Amino acid sequence: MKQKKNIEMAAKPSLKAISKAEALVVHLISGFGLVVAFWVAHNVHSISLTSHPSHTLRLIWVFECPAVILLYSRYRKDHERCSYFKAVGRGLLGLPAGALINALGAIVLGAPAGIQYLPKTINWSLVMSLFTIVPAASVFGSSWTDWQRIFAFTKQVSYPQPIEPVDYMICLPAHGAVIGAWFGAFPMPLDWERPWQEWPICVSYGAIVGYLVGIVASLGFMLVRQHVKGD
Amino acid sequence: MEAMPYTRSLLANGMAIGFHAKAAPPTVTMPRLKAMVSGAIGGFLDVAMNFNTQAMLDDNLLGQFFKIGWKMVMLGDETWLKLFPGLFLRHDGVSSFFVKDTVHVDQNVSRHLGYELSRDDWDFLILHYLGLDHVGHIGGRNSALMAPKLREMDEVVKMIHMNSILNQKNDEGQTLLVVVSDHGMTESGNHGGSSYEETDSLALFIGVKNNISDDFLSTHNIIHQVDIAPTLALLFGVPIPKNNVGVLIAEIFGYLSEDQQMKALELNSWQLLRLLQAQIPGLSCRNYPRDGLRDDQDFRIAKCSGSMEAMFCCLYTNAALLQKSWMYKEISRSNSREDYTSTVVAYYEFLRTASEWLSHRATDKPVRLLTVGIAAMLLSCLILLSLLFHTCKEVYLREQSLFDLESIKQTWYLDETFVLGVVLILIVSMASSSMVEEEQYIWHFVASTLNLLLLRKTIKCPTGAGAQDLHSSSKGKNKISFCRLSSISVVLISGRILRGWHQGGVNWTNLPDISKWLEQAGTDNVKSIQLVSCLLVMSLSLCVLFLFGFNMKFVLVIGFSFLMSGLLVLQHFVKHQDGMFASSSCSTTTLVQIIYAIMGISTFGTVVALPWFVRFSTSEMGLSHDLYMSTSVPNEVQNNTLLVKLRESLYLVGWEYISFWCLLQLLLQQTINSMTIVLLLVQILASMLYFSYSGLHQKQWVEIAALYFLGMAGHFALGNSNSLATIDVAGAFMGISNHSTVLSGILMFIITYASPMLFILSMVMYVSVKDTSCLPSLVNADSTQLLKLMLGFPCLVPLGLNSILLTAYTIVLLIMRNHLFVWSVFSPKYIYVCTTTICVYMGVSVVATTVTYTYWVLGLKKKMLGHHHLR
Repeated sequence: MKQKKNIEMAAKPSLKAISKAEALVVHLISGFGLVVAFWVAHNVHSISLTSHPSHTLRLIWVFECPAVILLYSRYRKDHERCSYFKAVGRGLLGLPAGALINALGAIVLGAPAGIQYLPKTINWSLVMSLFTIVPAASVFGSSWTDWQRIFAFTKQVSYPQPIEPVDYMICLPAHGAVIGAWFGAFPMPLDWERPWQEWPICVSYGAIVGYLVGIVASLGFMLVRQHVKGD
Repeated sequence: MEAMPYTRSLLANGMAIGFHAKAAPPTVTMPRLKAMVSGAIGGFLDVAMNFNTQAMLDDNLLGQFFKIGWKMVMLGDETWLKLFPGLFLRHDGVSSFFVKDTVHVDQNVSRHLGYELSRDDWDFLILHYLGLDHVGHIGGRNSALMAPKLREMDEVVKMIHMNSILNQKNDEGQTLLVVVSDHGMTESGNHGGSSYEETDSLALFIGVKNNISDDFLSTHNIIHQVDIAPTLALLFGVPIPKNNVGVLIAEIFGYLSEDQQMKALELNSWQLLRLLQAQIPGLSCRNYPRDGLRDDQDFRIAKCSGSMEAMFCCLYTNAALLQKSWMYKEISRSNSREDYTSTVVAYYEFLRTASEWLSHRATDKPVRLLTVGIAAMLLSCLILLSLLFHTCKEVYLREQSLFDLESIKQTWYLDETFVLGVVLILIVSMASSSMVEEEQYIWHFVASTLNLLLLRKTIKCPTGAGAQDLHSSSKGKNKISFCRLSSISVVLISGRILRGWHQGGVNWTNLPDISKWLEQAGTDNVKSIQLVSCLLVMSLSLCVLFLFGFNMKFVLVIGFSFLMSGLLVLQHFVKHQDGMFASSSCSTTTLVQIIYAIMGISTFGTVVALPWFVRFSTSEMGLSHDLYMSTSVPNEVQNNTLLVKLRESLYLVGWEYISFWCLLQLLLQQTINSMTIVLLLVQILASMLYFSYSGLHQKQWVEIAALYFLGMAGHFALGNSNSLATIDVAGAFMGISNHSTVLSGILMFIITYASPMLFILSMVMYVSVKDTSCLPSLVNADSTQLLKLMLGFPCLVPLGLNSILLTAYTIVLLIMRNHLFVWSVFSPKYIYVCTTTICVYMGVSVVATTVTYTYWVLGLKKKMLGHHHLR
């Protein structure tokens, strides 16, 4: 196993290794960003996601953005060739790009496309971008194979790569957020006449719940893997 | 309301009493007529019977009148004649199914009116005016024809009322004029569902004396439609129909003396009690303590609670006891107004409770038949699924042994799991009434999610064809992957537009959508969009036909016949700019009939004749079959020729099915839906392009499930919903010169199931474009094996999906039979589910027959050719 890893390290610039504790800290900080955003929304602006979805989502991404980009840029993949600031720049570029992808996906799935929903959609897709695309953009940059590996589980036939801890950290929360958002859309057509059934409130709740579940799952996976390795 | 001044004045002068009569769903004519004359709430299947009315055998008012020797006359809707054959002295029926006519149907009634009013040999006259309903169907509530039609009805009321007033002076009896409507209508003029607008019908009694203040009427004027039956029966002194669940309308009996009113209430209560006893076998109220009888001065009224039976008995006994005591007091001249009121209240309490309970369980359930039916459904579902499973196993074992692909062995595929998950989601969502009402969201959501997953898969492995074309250049690969990406994006985008076309459903219909926006933009714009979409359908279809131009004269013939019918449809559109009002003219009908004829003949002719015109010659192998050449293996030329020819013919037939079906829909559907047809066609063509390149990486059943989902999403995008009110009745008379229930029923089916049928018919093309590189290796396989491999999935997947949904929904419906919304939400949906089953079965059998026939003819021809060569 060790031998194999060495060969890969020679073949490709290695990822900076990441320990359990570091992963925990990273996840805690990004979770903390969410908490701070909600706290500020509730106590400073005295609004909530249900009453002012657009505003609250903006607060979330404003607080989450520096945390995610700055943290994940530390674990950039091509460590030698890429400086820290370049990784941050990639993350910043990834933010609008990912937002565009998320917004298109949501609209294709039936999010309202009217002009009055535009601010809500933009803010929601920026939040989704931070959950899904931005970490990967900071870490992998424009390495297409890595993107494919993370988001499509493509097995490389030529050189099978082992799954790195940072892969879990990016992949699971991102998928969790998307799946959570997908399930979050289910209450929307029901006739319960609750204010939170509006776009994008319950979808955002779903995404946040899915993201948090993804974080827990990624920590769990890392623990299990380390345990297996130790044996 | 301003349109009916005379009727208004009658109400204002207290010469008439009007009510909102709440009709029970289904709000279509025949069940409502039955409810009014028998007081019973029929089963929901009466909707289906609405098209094919049979004589009413249950106890009803007209039968009672006939028994006491009344002479009856009926003018108007011929449903009455079918329901009550032989009861009428004179009659003149009008067919109710020709909804485009708003003038003659009513003239036909009114022309007899003067004559009938001058005669006095009848006791009961029924006039059923159809015009108002037809105006609603054509133009909706706010149609320009609505006000004149209402005024016309007002004139009729005035004429009869004047006449009956005159009659009263020299006649000993009184005349009662009852004006009722069988149902209401939605904003767009349709009916059938259970919204407030549809169930809100009219009951107006003119000619009864009343001394009720106006403010009472403004608050208490809501009754049930079934209440009309017992009221009329009691007014005319005939027995209340046995199955009546209605309660007499107290206000009408205001002119009677107190003990007469009491008697009426008692009769109604006896009748309902008997009905209750029939429903609950053990119900007999004998054993209740009747101690009140002994000391009449102060008996105690039991507080009613407990089980249903005890409740009914208790309520009834209370009322009976109160009446006894009141009568006793009356004899001793010590009765008070108070006692009377409390007795009446007690009776009404019993009547209302019993009526409500009875109307909720109006139908009896044959348990054995139900069990057998569900068992049969489960069995067929299991058989289909096991067949599907076996085909699956067989095909993938073969593929694995052929190509030794690593990727086949991967255990977990997102798209496959998703399809299975969707089935679960659909089944679960069926149990929720609001999810049933808003089913379109689920289908759109699911269809676009599956397409997104396919997009993701395409990105994951861009060269879909996989291992077997590793030799092809990277440029070709790029082209193919670009093709697949763009086609799936086209499917997604047009799916999104389709979703926005009609808001649909029940709860959010008022939200803006594209069709409303277009309608606001004006008729001219809608018309031009219709023309453009017709042109688009024609050019797209012809492009697809000649893109793969197999140098055959037959292709030209098919293209020509398509062009001709397309041009005729265009002419039909141009000629009838104002399609609304005057389109039942003779020339239109003839034109439409010609179009039907051309379409039918050319489709049928192609399917039958095409395989016979295919020529086998080895020289043709050199032609550029750009889609197929990459997969054909040269050393199996013989079998390949057959296969290639089969696929060519199937491609043509499949094209024929799709494009002629689209053209037919353009003709039949509402104007606003024409662009939707284009989008559906685009979706199909793009999916075909995508699937033709997908190779072995995509499992066939997932692709067919995707097509099925798209078909269902398109069904709702055409404006359909799970309420019967969205069925387009006006379109069902296109090109029918005289009324025929069967023909208009078929047209209605074609209009409603346009999209699912289109996607199932596209399976023929799917079979032809699908990369079947594993098939040529079956050199010595018999034909059944080959057909099984080609047809297995396209037929079994829709059947299996549909069978699961049908069985699950039947069980859900049985569980939900006591649900509050069982008549308004679940039952209409069941009709849709059953009709979808019919649609799937018809489509699948067409596909299977076509493929089998073509294969058989081609095999025969090849054999003959082989013999010829040998000789």
